[in-house]
Amino acid sequence: MDVDGNHSRRSFLKATGGTIAAVSLAGCSGSTDESGGTDGGSSGEASGTINYARGAATKSLDLHKIDDGESVKVTNQIYDKLVQFVPGKNEIEAGLATEWETEGKTITLTLREDVTFHNGEDLTASDFVATYKRFTDPEYEYYIGEEDATSYAGNTFGEVESVEATDETTVTITTKKKFAPMLRNLAVFAAGVMSEKEIETGEQFDSTAVGTGPFTLDAWQNEGEKIRLKANPDYWGETPKSEFVIFLAVGENSTRVSKLTSEDIHIIDGIDAEGADRIDKADGVELVQKTGLVTGYMAMNLEKREEFRNTKVRQALNYAVDTKAIVDSIFRGFASQSSQAVPPAVPGHNEDLDPYPYDQQQATSLLEEAGFGDGFDFTLTTFTNPRPYIPSPSQAAQKVRTDLKEVGINVTIEKKSWNDFLNYTIAGKHDACFLGWNADNGDPDNFLRPLLHPGIESPDGQDWASFSAEGYNVYNASGWANQEFMQKVEEAQTIIDDDDARMKLYNEANQISHDEAPWVFLDHADELRGVKDAVSGFKIAPVGGPFLDLVSVE
Amino acid sequence: MASKWFVIKRLLLLIPVLIGISTVVFAILHLGGNDPAAVMAGQGASQEQIETIRSELGFDDPIWVQYTRFLSDVSQFDFGESYVLKPGQPVWGSILADKLPVTIELAIYGQLFGVMLGVPLGVLSAIKQNSLTDHITRIGALAGISVPIFWSGPLLIILFANILGVLPASSRIDTQYFIEGPWAFFGHELPLTGLMTIDTLLLGNIDAFVSAVEHLLLPAAVMGIYSMALISRMMRSSMLEVVRQDYIRTARAKGQGQKITMLKHGLKNAFIPVITVIGIQFGTMLGGAVLTETVFGISGLGVILVNAIQAGDYPVVQAAVLVFAMLFTLVNLTVDITYSYLDPRIQQ
Repeated sequence: MDVDGNHSRRSFLKATGGTIAAVSLAGCSGSTDESGGTDGGSSGEASGTINYARGAATKSLDLHKIDDGESVKVTNQIYDKLVQFVPGKNEIEAGLATEWETEGKTITLTLREDVTFHNGEDLTASDFVATYKRFTDPEYEYYIGEEDATSYAGNTFGEVESVEATDETTVTITTKKKFAPMLRNLAVFAAGVMSEKEIETGEQFDSTAVGTGPFTLDAWQNEGEKIRLKANPDYWGETPKSEFVIFLAVGENSTRVSKLTSEDIHIIDGIDAEGADRIDKADGVELVQKTGLVTGYMAMNLEKREEFRNTKVRQALNYAVDTKAIVDSIFRGFASQSSQAVPPAVPGHNEDLDPYPYDQQQATSLLEEAGFGDGFDFTLTTFTNPRPYIPSPSQAAQKVRTDLKEVGINVTIEKKSWNDFLNYTIAGKHDACFLGWNADNGDPDNFLRPLLHPGIESPDGQDWASFSAEGYNVYNASGWANQEFMQKVEEAQTIIDDDDARMKLYNEANQISHDEAPWVFLDHADELRGVKDAVSGFKIAPVGGPFLDLVSVE
Repeated sequence: MASKWFVIKRLLLLIPVLIGISTVVFAILHLGGNDPAAVMAGQGASQEQIETIRSELGFDDPIWVQYTRFLSDVSQFDFGESYVLKPGQPVWGSILADKLPVTIELAIYGQLFGVMLGVPLGVLSAIKQNSLTDHITRIGALAGISVPIFWSGPLLIILFANILGVLPASSRIDTQYFIEGPWAFFGHELPLTGLMTIDTLLLGNIDAFVSAVEHLLLPAAVMGIYSMALISRMMRSSMLEVVRQDYIRTARAKGQGQKITMLKHGLKNAFIPVITVIGIQFGTMLGGAVLTETVFGISGLGVILVNAIQAGDYPVVQAAVLVFAMLFTLVNLTVDITYSYLDPRIQQ
């Protein structure tokens, strides 16, 4: 997959041929998938309704206020980005921009000319500028406000120096330094384009939305629990296959499964292992499965526990935990073992690395070499609710305890609710903790930088940093600060014209973190959806989806 | 006149009760050791940001200042803003106002189910004391009281929704219906009530009404089973007691038929203790709403309360508990008043 990814990115950076080049990309990356070209402009008649059930209500439709999947699922139908993910793939294709060129610190994008917003206004470069300013510029009259703006303002546009409308159809983005992930950031939901005219009404966009996307907002009920979208007849791409989409919030996992198997719901997500079994056995529905762009791990806190500062101890734990059993039995096969932070479908994933095998003898001898032959005690902090990357945290923690007991390490399990857990681990109070990460933009930087880079320089000759240090990146839950690794990640971020060289650095960075093992590498979980047989055209999109405009219901 | 004073007296008595409840709710949440400022600031917030939020929202004021502020806000139905579920939005307007009618509708239909089946069964059981009907009813009542909602709910779903496929298992209405106000009444546009069975009728959408009723049947039955069992038992024993009274014997002695004796003289008098049970049951039913709503995927007060507890959204927890408590006291008040009409001696 990373080869495909490299290939496509290279094609892109060279692509000045615009639309056609972008469309041919799917072919380029060795796929027979036809959905790559969304700009065919051919229009079929939209008919039918897709009923989509998920676990919670949409909090808001305001792109700049949301960071939860339940909101993003809906805004992805309404708003378009300048560039977008190819449905079901971790690749970029033309969105509202048909061409782009990266030169040093600037990206110049050329917009489509035939695009109108749902309010009838034409899309121009100044719409993107206004959207950008609303999200990030406190000077702007219609700035969203520091309290409301999500962390995606920084995640997406943090490296941006300026955004300008050079002319009606040209957007120029200048970054503070050469910043390779920038283009992918533009495909993230938070970079969706709002209408300048709407922005400058100063209205709220929590329960209203004016985008350029394949669907328009038709009805918003019960604070986002029930939402109806209608096909946009003037959509610049192919007209959606279905006339309506209804999003329904159904909180209880098992109830959601029942609604799929015996009621009027066509697609569900948020499926636990038990639900997956039920869907698998039921008639008329199918369980769709795909490796997600997610990583689950157990971080060992080097600052808190001196034992973990010894690489051999960390390696020993990787040998001692039977991750295959966790993946196969506890996660019921809906996940695969992990050898590194970057998941297989993300470019930069090092294919030469294998997961640590389950080897108690190796673990014991490593512990002896490290001087911990008699073992030691530590506390493993975990959340209790299933997360996409660790579907059954409590059982997995039990398994870790049992396995480590075999090599003389006594683990105490400490369970916390999600919010308490986050506050606790962010403060670095844990000995070790379970955690995980979902891809935002599908770039390797999006895994290695937030999860394993401390964000600050570590003291000389010390490969860990303090959580309480000024500027420490609190998502790095192990406190690990390896100079060599940090250099590679920092350098890779600035390589914009040579993807092979960039990916080579990520491969090396992954090798280092695999060997140094600041985590016990656990799993890459699958994404699961339940889909009625009457549905066609649906595919799981680990980033940028769901692409419901391609879906039809018999 | 006496009854008017009675009502006013009871209403005034509500005030200390509500203050008491508010105090308990406030105390529990503040003694819980949670730092609301940290919850609000979210993950990755610096200590500085947390401090700013703390002082902005007055969490660093002395506890009695916070308490008086809380009481005065609550007395104006201002429950503050949500931390997590809908950050920054008013708890009442954005979260609870919509959910209250959902739970009330559920409780009303549940109670209706309980009364409509419980009363006749109780009377039947009493009239045919020690017969087979009586035994079956009593055993049924015992079972009804013993069966927990989280068991009977899924069981009914499996039977009626999954196996027979005649009733829907969840939600309040078919996915296709969007019940939206306002509705027109002689040229006036009026807001909807939030009660699905009423709103669909107000909008004149009969198909939607049928769908709403279908969706209510199972949850109402599940909620009503316990209440039905309790009411039938109460009805039976109360009826048996009344039957032994002198006035019943007198009625019989003067030659009045069994039916009229029982229904006219017996039933009305036997009803008095049953009314109390119905009232108290209505309160219990609100508690059952938490389970029923969860099992049937209906998002009412109960589900919100659970979500808010899990998310650590304390203003929502606070407000939901208070609303539940207020409902409970109001229902009790209504029962007391009804009671005083049925038995005027109560007022003295």
